[in-house]
Amino acid sequence: MPYDGGRFGAPSQIVPGKADPLIELIGLRKEYDNLVAVEDLNLTIPQSEIFGLIGPNGAGKTTTIRIACGLLTPTTGKAVIDGVDVAREPERAQRSIGYLSDFFAVYEDLKVWEYLDYFAHAYKVEERQISARVNGVIAQVSLEVKRDALIHGLSRGMKQRLGIGRAIIHQPKVLLLDEPASGLDPKARLELRNLLRWLQEQGTTILISSHILTELEGFCTSIGIMEKGRMVRSGRIEEVTAAEHRARDMRIGWVGDSTPVIEARLNGFPHVANIKLSAGWGTFQFAGSDDETASLLADLVGAGVRVKTFGEVKQTVEDLYMKVSKHEVM
Amino acid sequence: MLKFWRNPEFVRHVRAELRPARAVTVAVVVLFLCALIGLACWSERQSMLTNAENSAPHIDGKWTAYVETSRQQNSQQTWLLLCKWLFGLQCGLVTFWSLFACAQSVSAERDRKTWDFQRTTSLRPAEMLIGKLLGEPVLAYFGMLCVLPLTLIAGLLGGLSFWSLVAAYGSIIAGALFLGLGGLWVSTLVETRSRGVEMIGGLGLYGFTMGAHAFTTTWFPGLAAFSPVTGLHTVLGLDSAGRRSVVPPLFGHSVPWIVLTLLLDGSFGAGLVLMLVRNLKRDYSEIRPLSRWQAVGCAAFLNFVFYALLKFGPSTGSGTDSRLLATFMVSINGAILFAMGLATLTPHERLKVWWRQRAVGTTSLFSEDGLPWPWLALSAVVAYALMVWGLLAWRLSMDFHTRTLGTAAVQLLVVLVFITRDILFVQWCTLTQMRQPVLKGFFFLCLYYVAAAVVSAIRGISGEASGIAALSILTPVGVFDPRVEWLHFSAGVYEGLALQAGLIAVIVVGISNRLGRVGMVATASGD
Repeated sequence: MPYDGGRFGAPSQIVPGKADPLIELIGLRKEYDNLVAVEDLNLTIPQSEIFGLIGPNGAGKTTTIRIACGLLTPTTGKAVIDGVDVAREPERAQRSIGYLSDFFAVYEDLKVWEYLDYFAHAYKVEERQISARVNGVIAQVSLEVKRDALIHGLSRGMKQRLGIGRAIIHQPKVLLLDEPASGLDPKARLELRNLLRWLQEQGTTILISSHILTELEGFCTSIGIMEKGRMVRSGRIEEVTAAEHRARDMRIGWVGDSTPVIEARLNGFPHVANIKLSAGWGTFQFAGSDDETASLLADLVGAGVRVKTFGEVKQTVEDLYMKVSKHEVM
Repeated sequence: MLKFWRNPEFVRHVRAELRPARAVTVAVVVLFLCALIGLACWSERQSMLTNAENSAPHIDGKWTAYVETSRQQNSQQTWLLLCKWLFGLQCGLVTFWSLFACAQSVSAERDRKTWDFQRTTSLRPAEMLIGKLLGEPVLAYFGMLCVLPLTLIAGLLGGLSFWSLVAAYGSIIAGALFLGLGGLWVSTLVETRSRGVEMIGGLGLYGFTMGAHAFTTTWFPGLAAFSPVTGLHTVLGLDSAGRRSVVPPLFGHSVPWIVLTLLLDGSFGAGLVLMLVRNLKRDYSEIRPLSRWQAVGCAAFLNFVFYALLKFGPSTGSGTDSRLLATFMVSINGAILFAMGLATLTPHERLKVWWRQRAVGTTSLFSEDGLPWPWLALSAVVAYALMVWGLLAWRLSMDFHTRTLGTAAVQLLVVLVFITRDILFVQWCTLTQMRQPVLKGFFFLCLYYVAAAVVSAIRGISGEASGIAALSILTPVGVFDPRVEWLHFSAGVYEGLALQAGLIAVIVVGISNRLGRVGMVATASGD
């Protein structure tokens, strides 16, 4: 089913990908006492996607992730992970799920290797693989020197890395990460990004939520924007951006006093709107094709404008989110 | 699942709590304590023997013979005394530790925020349960293991049979596991670690289990088997207060105490396991102790246990009157129905869903997510059927009248109506915004009954009849009046019945309004 624009109540919002869907949320709805935290959410995420779930605090991101990993039962609808209904067969589904939340609580009275060994057994990893898996994960999260140390004595950053290790100890097909970088220092964030990219390359499908949009920029392959329990947009980043920005934001810089000339030329050119010019630079929206963009530049140069810079202002996830949240693109 | 020593949760506790240094320390401390107790026992016996020997010249020949026998048996009696002390200490330590360690397990994990991570593993609830039940008090079990060889040696040298010692250990372990399950259940019901609530719940359970020993002198002496103390008393020959002479009956046949202990702890423990396995991996807001059918089954089982353990005879000193028994069972069923009602309250969210489905006719009154009252009625019917069966089965042992069945039916109906009103009130509380609505609803009900008693007492000043009438209208106490014959209850009882039926209707309307209002609330955010 093609991506349909992500309107509320849509049958399903599919993120196009390479293979079969690993995460399917079907008609998901969760009500608390007098709140509707998630409302009729349909989402399908194929294998090897990194899907960023963005939205303000209280948008329903955490509830969605908690339902997807079996911590909450939906009021209606269902979450299917790797073909298994999470509510019906939670233990089977959870073998495919690695879950990480914004807090990294660990058993402080265990040693590092004991902690990972415990979760490897709890996730029913094959006995003969456990030792190698534990050592491998300890290396992945750079805790080799602390292998036999009690967790109680680790720094906060180390405990966070250990938490990440716990989530991947059973090599899950799906990682559900709820604000995983909150509290991490910049270096640890970079390491987390690299680790997640590597996991994606290994075929892991990742659903990651955050309200810090720069955290997801250049990292997620797809995004979904949630507000008040509804998915207002979802899809691959470039497609969502293109769908919402048919008129591209352009920026021009010049040398000399050519403002009146530029204004006249732009006003005379088709597909140009929302012109804002000041001394030496300006912005406008342009809905023309790439050929027309080149013609516009040639026209300005031909009119004697000494163009210094000319180009499209790249839309960030943050820009898109801000527009959506201000209902500019709904 | 049966290989508990490979259970990840059990292994985690063993690793955390039995690191070599700590294990050695515990073993040394425990053995040192045993040595001290041994010395105390030897000292006591020696002192007793010396006193007896000193008194012998002043008393007749029988005393001299007794002293001689005591001297010959001194060694054996010293070992026996040590064995009894060791068993007593192990019983106290293991049962207490098991209960309180388990009573903090789930709530402490919720507190530390590690619980969600455990819930998202592939561990099944039963595996988590076994791991926690045996793992949380592992230090106490280890201590017991250290004392075990010494206890066995002391017991055997003290003249006890090997099987008596095994039975005594069986009694302690059954009690510890039962209390551990109870503790786990208390812990599951507490959202975060709240030492006060856990302490009250734990002490209540501990007090009931240990105090169950007092049931030996009631109509239901078998209930004393709940207490591991009873098992120890009988197995080790501690026949103080003549309690050893009471033989517990099961369907009128005498059975050994240890068998009854295992049966009771096993069956009630199985009920706790059922509730725990059902709820252990659920979110706190979604906990529902029992399904509706399980609640009906539980009510039937509890009634069944009472009739199975019933004992009539001179030793009870009762009037063995069927009316008395029926009235007693009605009051017991009041408590059972109330507990089952609380256990089957429908969470707000599920009740809303049921309400919407009911509005479009896709679900019934007897739905799992509906209001609890139809199931309370069903439980009461089952309880009444068992009462008929119980009374008829025991009719030859007491002065049975068929009219008793009619009287008991009305008594049970009145109790059912009051319990239904109370449970629906608590259900209504769950639909309000108050925090801990079940607990608060329960307290409101307590307040209501206290107020009813006060009102009746005040009216009683103008005349006893007036006070009793008020009590009969406001509470179900009126139906338990022993002077009533057949269905000739006071008018207050029937007025109260009508009043409560009206109140039930009002509460149901209140619940409907709440659910209707909730359905209209606009979408709001919630993370």
